Amino acid sequence: MIHPATVLAIVLMASMTYLTRIAGYLVLRHRTLGTRAITVLEAAPGCVLIAVIAPRFVSNSLADILALLITLVAAIRLPMLATVIIGVVAAGVLRHLLP
Amino acid sequence: MYQISSHLEHKRNPIPRRETYAFTSQLRFDMRAFQSPTLAAPAHDHHEARRGFVAALPVMLGFVPFALVLGAQAAQKGLSPIEVPLMTGLNFGGGSEFAAIRLWTSPPHIGLIVAIAFLVNSRHLLMGATLARFIRHLPLRKALPALFFMCDESWAMGLADARQRASTSPSFSLRYYLGLSAGLYLTWITFTTIGAIVGPMIGNIDAYGFDMAFPAVFLVLLRGMWKSARAARPWLVSLIMAAATHVWIPGAWYVAAGAASGLLAAYVWADQP
Repeated sequence: MIHPATVLAIVLMASMTYLTRIAGYLVLRHRTLGTRAITVLEAAPGCVLIAVIAPRFVSNSLADILALLITLVAAIRLPMLATVIIGVVAAGVLRHLLP
Repeated sequence: MYQISSHLEHKRNPIPRRETYAFTSQLRFDMRAFQSPTLAAPAHDHHEARRGFVAALPVMLGFVPFALVLGAQAAQKGLSPIEVPLMTGLNFGGGSEFAAIRLWTSPPHIGLIVAIAFLVNSRHLLMGATLARFIRHLPLRKALPALFFMCDESWAMGLADARQRASTSPSFSLRYYLGLSAGLYLTWITFTTIGAIVGPMIGNIDAYGFDMAFPAVFLVLLRGMWKSARAARPWLVSLIMAAATHVWIPGAWYVAAGAASGLLAAYVWADQP
């Protein structure tokens, strides 16, 4: 089943999302940036990534905080897949062990 | 909600080298069998796409539980198994989709949904700006479709790969990026649809540990971007401001607040030798 109002909402939502994807690129495409602007843009990816997961660092759950720390240590040394497995297992186990 | 959704989006490619190498040797072997120079270029392209797809496998695995849950939640709100892939296929942004489904009514409040999509996805503006330097060599007809697939993970992996290949020109491998994007995209669409169909059978995944997959992916990505403690100081500012915003201000503002603070810090500190 397809409802017209639902489709309209989805199409407009997706259009807005796509707009956010291309806008930054379109604005900067033909610009030559100074060193300062480049320094700022180079810090940007890390700033975005860490901001997205920031709520994890202030979780109310002791199990979640411990699991995050274990995952953090794993991420320093191990490849992606191993880190993901360790993080998931640590969170699953700690949540059952701790209240 | 925002907490869950925020974990949905990111990654890069510390796939074990050995795997990549295995594919490389295999491909070389195949090419020798054919011994056709005209096949060389496409085979190389194919290799790049495959390299991207393989790099994305752990992240695809991480997508599955979230996709199932999103599909299940959407079904609960009355979206059909056709409308769900329509949303996840056209929008392809987990964070905004979780937020939209949470606020979904029948009929949907379109203005609210679009505003939420902008708020949750506003970081794409910065991501696209960061990527612009790396894809300047691409014509618009290639860049604009490629940007459709820019999610946290594909963006971070594409950038990380470009930085590792800094000596190559162009350093950004479009085929690698499209290969990994294909894996992420198909996983997301497929499993959100399955979630919509089998929805009621899915419980609360947080009771297990699957939601930790996203911080894990993000942290490995950050490790790949690490240059020095000095260069990472803006990250710390971003982390602290985002966490504080999350604690004191409801909604999805924390990403924008954290990233903006981090960039401001980077701007101010750029003066120091």
